[in-house]
Amino acid sequence: MILIDRLARGAFLLPLVFMLVFFALPIALTAVWSVFERTMFWMEPGFTLFAYENFFTSARLWNFLASMYHSLIAVVICLVLGFPIAVFVHRRVPQVAQHRVVLLFILPFMVSEIIRIFALRPVLQRNGLVNETLQYLGITSEPITSILFTPTGVIIGEVLSFLPFIVFSGFLAMEAVPKYIFEVCEDLGASTFRIYKDVILPLAAPGIFAGSVFIFVNGIGVALLPNILGGPGAVNAGLIATQAIVALDFPLAMAVSAIMMVTLFGLLYLGHRLFDLTTILEPAR
Amino acid sequence: MSIAVETRALTKHYGSVRALDGVDVTIRAGEYFVLLGPSGGGKTTLLRTIGGFHRPTSGQVLLHGTDVSDQPPDKRPTGMVFQAYALFPHMTVAQNVGYGLRLAKLPSDQIADKVATMLETVGLDGLGNRKPHELSGGQQQRVQLARALVLDRDILLLDEPLAALDAQLRKDMCLELKHLQEKVGITFIHVTHNQEEAMTVADRIALIADGKLVEQGSAREVYEAPNRRFTASFVGENNLLDGRITSVSGGIATVETGGGAISLPSIDTASQGAKAAVSIRSELVALSTAEDAQISGTYVESVYLGLTTSHRVALADGSQITARVVSGTGATPEPGAPVHLSWPADAARLHID
Amino acid sequence: MNDYANPWGYRLQWMYLLLVVTTLMSPVFYVMYVSFNENGFGAAEYVFTLEWYGVIFTDKLMMNALGWTLSLAVVTTVVTVPFAVLAAKFYKTARSKVWVVFLLLSPLFVAADIFGAALLVYFKNLNHTLVWVGDWMDTGVMDGWFKLGFTTAWIGLIIYTIPYAFIVVLITMGRYKVQQTEAARACGATAWRAFWDIEFPQIRPGVMSACAFTVILCFNEYTRTSLLKGGFDTFTTVLVSQMLNEGMSEQSYAMSSFVSFLAIAAIGSIILWTLVRSEKLGAEARAKAAPVAS
Repeated sequence: MILIDRLARGAFLLPLVFMLVFFALPIALTAVWSVFERTMFWMEPGFTLFAYENFFTSARLWNFLASMYHSLIAVVICLVLGFPIAVFVHRRVPQVAQHRVVLLFILPFMVSEIIRIFALRPVLQRNGLVNETLQYLGITSEPITSILFTPTGVIIGEVLSFLPFIVFSGFLAMEAVPKYIFEVCEDLGASTFRIYKDVILPLAAPGIFAGSVFIFVNGIGVALLPNILGGPGAVNAGLIATQAIVALDFPLAMAVSAIMMVTLFGLLYLGHRLFDLTTILEPAR
Repeated sequence: MSIAVETRALTKHYGSVRALDGVDVTIRAGEYFVLLGPSGGGKTTLLRTIGGFHRPTSGQVLLHGTDVSDQPPDKRPTGMVFQAYALFPHMTVAQNVGYGLRLAKLPSDQIADKVATMLETVGLDGLGNRKPHELSGGQQQRVQLARALVLDRDILLLDEPLAALDAQLRKDMCLELKHLQEKVGITFIHVTHNQEEAMTVADRIALIADGKLVEQGSAREVYEAPNRRFTASFVGENNLLDGRITSVSGGIATVETGGGAISLPSIDTASQGAKAAVSIRSELVALSTAEDAQISGTYVESVYLGLTTSHRVALADGSQITARVVSGTGATPEPGAPVHLSWPADAARLHID
Repeated sequence: MNDYANPWGYRLQWMYLLLVVTTLMSPVFYVMYVSFNENGFGAAEYVFTLEWYGVIFTDKLMMNALGWTLSLAVVTTVVTVPFAVLAAKFYKTARSKVWVVFLLLSPLFVAADIFGAALLVYFKNLNHTLVWVGDWMDTGVMDGWFKLGFTTAWIGLIIYTIPYAFIVVLITMGRYKVQQTEAARACGATAWRAFWDIEFPQIRPGVMSACAFTVILCFNEYTRTSLLKGGFDTFTTVLVSQMLNEGMSEQSYAMSSFVSFLAIAAIGSIILWTLVRSEKLGAEARAKAAPVAS
C-alpha cells in the first residue's frame, strides 16, 4: 500500500519532471552549446565565442534589432486594438456569455498561423484583395506596393496573428478587476481615461504584461513572418536560427537561441518583480 | 461511559501560524459535543484534524481508543457534514446518500432500502430523485446528514452545518439536529460560532480560541458559571470589568476596577495584588437605590430589543456597564442622571487569567 | 450592466468586436473563397468547383501526411491532457506556486523556431550520449530512442501543448469546490475514487475542451514538427513546403481551406454546444448560488 501511495504521489510530479528534462534542460544547454566549435556537419565541445562574434558583427544584428523594434510596434498596436475588447467583454457582456465571446477569438487562432500568414499574401500583394478593393472603390488608382514584402507587412502579419492573445490575456487580466469598481468609479465621476489609468491598468498589469511578452517573443521568433511577408533580407531571431540549422551551423543557432532565452527570462523576471505574475492564474473574486 | 474521541496535546502549525496549540479534549460516546469559538480560533481545524483532513504537527487523535493520527479520512470511523457545496451536483439525492454504501460494495437493493429508510428519517421522503440544486438550503443539509448517517458510523462531525441558513430556519434545524442525535444515539461533534445554536444542541460545550481549549462544560455551567475571562466574554451578555485585587479574606475578594471597588466571592487562585477581571451577567444587574448600590455611574441610554431592554450606564472611568431587564419593567432614567446598580451577592464572578 | 448606460455605446463596442474578429478571419475566408475557384487565384472568371479538394484526397503524399498528423495529434493528447490534470492538481496544493507556473507556462514564451532548434540539438546530443553509453555497456538497445522521428516530434508537441491544456484545465478546476472531494473522502472514497467519481465528472467539459484544443494545435503546428520529425511528413509540413517551393497553388488553397474548415467546425460546435447547455446551466447556477430558506 505504501508503494502504491508513493507511486501515486510521484505521478503528480511526472509532468514537472517531463518539462524539466525535455524543456528546461535543452533551453539551459543552449548556452553551453553556443560556445562549442563548429565542425562540418556538427559541433565539437570546446569554448569559443566565435558564434557570438559572428552574430554581433554581421548585418544580421541590425536586422535582428529592427525586428525587435517592429515586434514592439506590433505589441503596442495589439494592445490598443485588442485590450479594450477584453475590457468590454468583462464589463458589459453577461457572465454566462463571456466565455463564448472569448471563444470567438479562438477561431482565428485555431486556423494554423502558417495558413493565416500565407493567406496574407494574396490579400496584401499587388493584385491582392486589398488593392483590388481599394481600386474598385476608387480610393486609389494604383496598387499600393509598400504593404507586402516590407516591415509593414511583417507588422500586419504579427498583429493579425497575435491579436487574439491580447484579448485572451487581457480577459484573464481583467478577472483581477472586480465588477463593482466600475460602479464606484462612475459614482465618483471618473472619466474613462482616469478609470483606465488608475484602476484597470494597475490591476490588470500582470496579464497585460504577460500577453505583451508573448506577442513580442513570438514576433521575433516566428521565422515564417519575415520569410513570407518581409522583404529581401528581412530576418528575425527565429529565421536566423532556422537558417543556421539548415546551414549546419549549430553553434550559431544555439547562440541566437541563448540570446533569445536571456531576453525572454529577463523580461519575465522583470515583470514578476514589478507585477507578480502568478496573480494571472488566481484572480481576485 | 466510553470515550469516543480523545485528542492529546494536539498541535497543528502552518508555518509560523499556530492553528492548534496543545489541545486535550475528551468526548464521550453518544454525547452531543459542541466546539464553540470565534472565527479563526481553531475550532474548525480541530474538527477537521479529528476527521483526518489535516495531519497533526504533533500530538495524537484517538478514536475509540485507537490512534488514528496517520489515517486518511476514508479510513476513519467518522462521517462529516459540511457547511455548503458538499453535495455531488451531478448525482441525485438518492445517489448522493447511497454513495458511501456503493463504495462499500453493498448490493444495490440493500443500498436502495437503506437510502429510503434514511431519507425518511431526515424528513426527505420521496425526494430521492431530485438533484441537489432543486432543493432548498435546509433540505440540502438534510441530504448531507442522511449521506453521513446511512454509513452507520459512530461519530458524526458537523462543520458549521447551519451557517448558510437564515436565522429562522437555523433555529428550527437546531432542534431537529438535537432530536436526530437523540434518536440515532451516536456521537455528534458540532462546530459553530453561534452561541444560541451551541446551547440548543449541546450536552457539553468546549470553547476554542487561539488554538487552545479555553474551557468546557455543560451549557448551564458555561453560561452561568464561566471560569475563564474569555468564556465570560464570549458566552452570554456579560459585563466585564478589569482591575486588581486589593484584598482577599474570608472567602471574599475585593477588586479595584475603573468604576469602583467590587466585593465578590473569591476563588482559589486569587491573591492580593493580582490582576483580575469581574464578570456579571447583564440580566442580573439591576437599577437600584443608593443604599443597595454596589457600583454607581451616569445613565447613558436604553436600547429596546423587543423582549429585553438594555440600560447602558457609564462608570467613573468611562467604561460602560449594561443592565438588561424584561421590557416594560421598571423606570427609565434620564440620560446623564446619576444611577446606582446592584446585583445578587453570588452573581459576580472572579477571573484570574 | 447598469440601466443608465448608453445603449449605443454598448452596440458600438459590440460592432467593433465583431469587426475585429471578421478582419482577423478575412484572409482565411478569402483563401476559402479562392479555393473553390476552378481558375485559381486572380483569375478574371470565377467558376465554382470542388475539384481542388478532390485532388487532396487522391494525393497519396497528402493522405499519408494526414495519417501521420492524426496519429501525432492523438498520442500527444493522450499524454498532454492527463499531464495537465496532474499538474493542475499539484499546483492547487503546491507551496511554491511560482515555480510550477513558470515551468509549465514557459513554453508559451519560447518561440517555435528557437525551441525547435534547441530541442533538435538536444536530441542529437542525447542520441550520441546514449550510443556512447550503449557501447560502454555493450548494448545497442538505446541507439534509436531519440533519433529524429515520431518520438521526438511527439515530445516537442507535448511541450508545446501542455501550457494551453494546463490553463484550460486549471480554469475549469477553479469552479470546482474542494469540499466535494472532502465529502467523498468522508464517505469512504480513496483519493482516486474521489477524483474519478466526483471531481472528474465536473471538470469533464474542461478536459474535453483541452483535448479538442490540443488536437487542433497539433494539427496546425508546423515549426517544431518540421524541425523534429525526421523522415515523415505531416499535413502542415507538406502544405508549407509546397507553398514555399511552388507558391500558392490551387491545391494549397484547397488544403488550407480544408484544415481551416475542420478547425472552425470544431470550435463552432463547442460554441453551439455551450449555447445549448447554457439555458440548463443558467438555471442550475442561479439555484446553486443562493441556498434559500424553505
